[in-house]
Amino acid sequence: MSRIKKLKATSKMREIMLAYYMQGKQAEEVSWVTSGAPVEFLYAMDVYPIYPENHAALIGATKMGPNFSQIAENEGFSQDLCSYARCDIGSAMVGSSPIGGLPKPNFLLCCNNICNTVVKWYEVLSRMFKVPLFILDVPFVRKELRESYVNYVEEQLYDFIRFLEKVTGEEFDESRFREVISLSIQGVNAYRDVLLMGRHKPSPLTCFDAFLNMAPIVCLRGTETPIGFYGELKEELEERVKNGVGAVDNEEIRLLWDNIPIWYELKRLSEFFIDHNACLVADTYTNAWTGILRLENKSDPIRSLAETYTFIYLNLGLELMAEAINRLIDVYDVDGVVIHSNRSCKPYSFGQYEIQKMIDVPSVVIEADMTDSRVFSMAQVETRLEAFLERLKS
Amino acid sequence: MRRVGYFCTFTPKELIKAAGFTPVRILTGNQHVSLANAHLQNYCCSQVRGSLERLLRGELDIDAAVFTRTCDSLMRLADIWERNSNMLVHNLEFPTKIDGRSREFLIRELYDFKSKLEEWRGKEITSEDLKSSIELYSYLEGLLDEIFRIKPDYELILRAQTEDAEEVLREAEKKVRELRDLKGERGEQKDARVLVTGSVCPAVDVLSLIEEAGFSIVDDLCTGTRFFKSDVESRDVNSMEEAMEFLAEKYLRKAPCPTKSYDGDWRFKYILERVKEVDAVIFLLLKFCEPHFFDYPQLKKELEKMGKKTLLLELEFPIVSYEQLKTRLEAFYEMVV
Repeated sequence: MSRIKKLKATSKMREIMLAYYMQGKQAEEVSWVTSGAPVEFLYAMDVYPIYPENHAALIGATKMGPNFSQIAENEGFSQDLCSYARCDIGSAMVGSSPIGGLPKPNFLLCCNNICNTVVKWYEVLSRMFKVPLFILDVPFVRKELRESYVNYVEEQLYDFIRFLEKVTGEEFDESRFREVISLSIQGVNAYRDVLLMGRHKPSPLTCFDAFLNMAPIVCLRGTETPIGFYGELKEELEERVKNGVGAVDNEEIRLLWDNIPIWYELKRLSEFFIDHNACLVADTYTNAWTGILRLENKSDPIRSLAETYTFIYLNLGLELMAEAINRLIDVYDVDGVVIHSNRSCKPYSFGQYEIQKMIDVPSVVIEADMTDSRVFSMAQVETRLEAFLERLKS
Repeated sequence: MRRVGYFCTFTPKELIKAAGFTPVRILTGNQHVSLANAHLQNYCCSQVRGSLERLLRGELDIDAAVFTRTCDSLMRLADIWERNSNMLVHNLEFPTKIDGRSREFLIRELYDFKSKLEEWRGKEITSEDLKSSIELYSYLEGLLDEIFRIKPDYELILRAQTEDAEEVLREAEKKVRELRDLKGERGEQKDARVLVTGSVCPAVDVLSLIEEAGFSIVDDLCTGTRFFKSDVESRDVNSMEEAMEFLAEKYLRKAPCPTKSYDGDWRFKYILERVKEVDAVIFLLLKFCEPHFFDYPQLKKELEKMGKKTLLLELEFPIVSYEQLKTRLEAFYEMVV
């Protein structure tokens, strides 16, 4: 028997996501889109958004990462490239995956506010599928969000509207767009409330629960679905709090996770922390989506979208990132940070050694990859984590 | 304060020079990384790690560093650099998407960079300063272009990137005269011409090995042709506005680099056009360089369709085994001729 206390909502989430992918296969107009892109435009124009990153995470979680990576590698894609990209390209090449492959895109939307990797990855897809690619180019906010950056992004959003009108043959409907934004905000609010449940002691959820249940806010943000789903999930967590049930029995240590999950090891890692009475109560990854709440109460939706999507966690300089981590440390009252140095994600991982010196609690770095298990050693990671937890307990 | 370091060839060195500084390109060194290990993971490329190593070893005689938006690794290096040195640091957000929108944004960034340089220098950059700096580089780049069309000189181009332009100018003029004199008499074209495309390669010995294997080189390296080549011809500029517009256009139409995304897939078209004059292609790529490695498989396929043989050499600096490179190059030469 696993020691992991499963949330009922997680099976609901699986149904939701299965339906999401199945529906995608019926959709007339499909766009593949990066996780940090303003998806609100697509839902407003009845374009079905498909997320190769989420799909790659799914491949990772089903331990098929090496398999699909290898297909891309045989085609000449280096093993040092992002493993999400390798999984996605490999899967697209053979048209299969744990969910039977993704529906073919009519066009691609790529926003480099999460990395420049996606620009190259989507160029590859654009050549493979021979479909148009729209790049939303976002300047890097090293110290401060400058007005010139927002202007540049805003102008491109208007370009994107024209692009959408051209490819769909439909006119952009601003009132529909405002509705989608409102749904997006409500969804993110409901999602944030779920994450905030981690403030309770003991915490009713771990970051592994957050990872497993994040797909709806990524993929369905702007629809009704996440609002209802996260509402229910929150009720389930409230129930746990009421009954004094923690996700981890005898929660002794509260931790924060940094970087993308190690998808193929969620279970073993979960159990490892349970065995050590340590609870990962929050993480920087799922919290990145709550940044979208900056949209609230703004009269000019396009301008504020430009601002919001430029000021995305991964697009910030190290000082701003460390500030955000320190806020999480404070809000969730954590004792230490587990930092995943992720071979596949350079903008997330480079600078972590500096961040260690800038944050308010002790931290440990573990070396891994989000989907490629070939570069991972559980024994090594366990040794590091054990030493770290011992240090925190003493 | 005298010298301003930069990494990426999309950095408008004309502005640095006009401010009265010597622009110096920072490239990885010849030593193994040890100090930088505490600041950057080993899956970061050796240009970024090696440059940081040089900083930490105190090898760099520069007072400020400019990080032009290039790739994710350099983007992160800016903050690591700032935290581990006393240098002034500026990041110039060069657009990644190169299309009709880029020009206006880049001009804005150029003005911001100008203000920063003026602040560092404590003195205004006049349009005359900028005009003469633009002319200086146009002249130098013209000479380098002529040299590279005949026979790439990697020692010289490295100096052009790491020393004062005026110093290198005389050397370049001399070289051009020599090549012009030689040109008529030596039908010295070797039997195999190869396009060498790729990232930075400050190790001149690697290029010598390619020549020694029997190839004559047509260059498309970041530390070669892409340092000086632009589609936009030099022109007279008579005001600050004209100068900035010229710079923006010049750099937007610089020989295409995989860190940018071009309207109409310009980089692929550019490479496929350039290979018409060669027999084979060598990809000289830095290990972990994502922009180049993403382009590689599809570009290679296109090249093969055209009947071009290709070789991938994945480099990490400092290079451990020249012997191995030599063997592979010799084998490739045999295959091509």
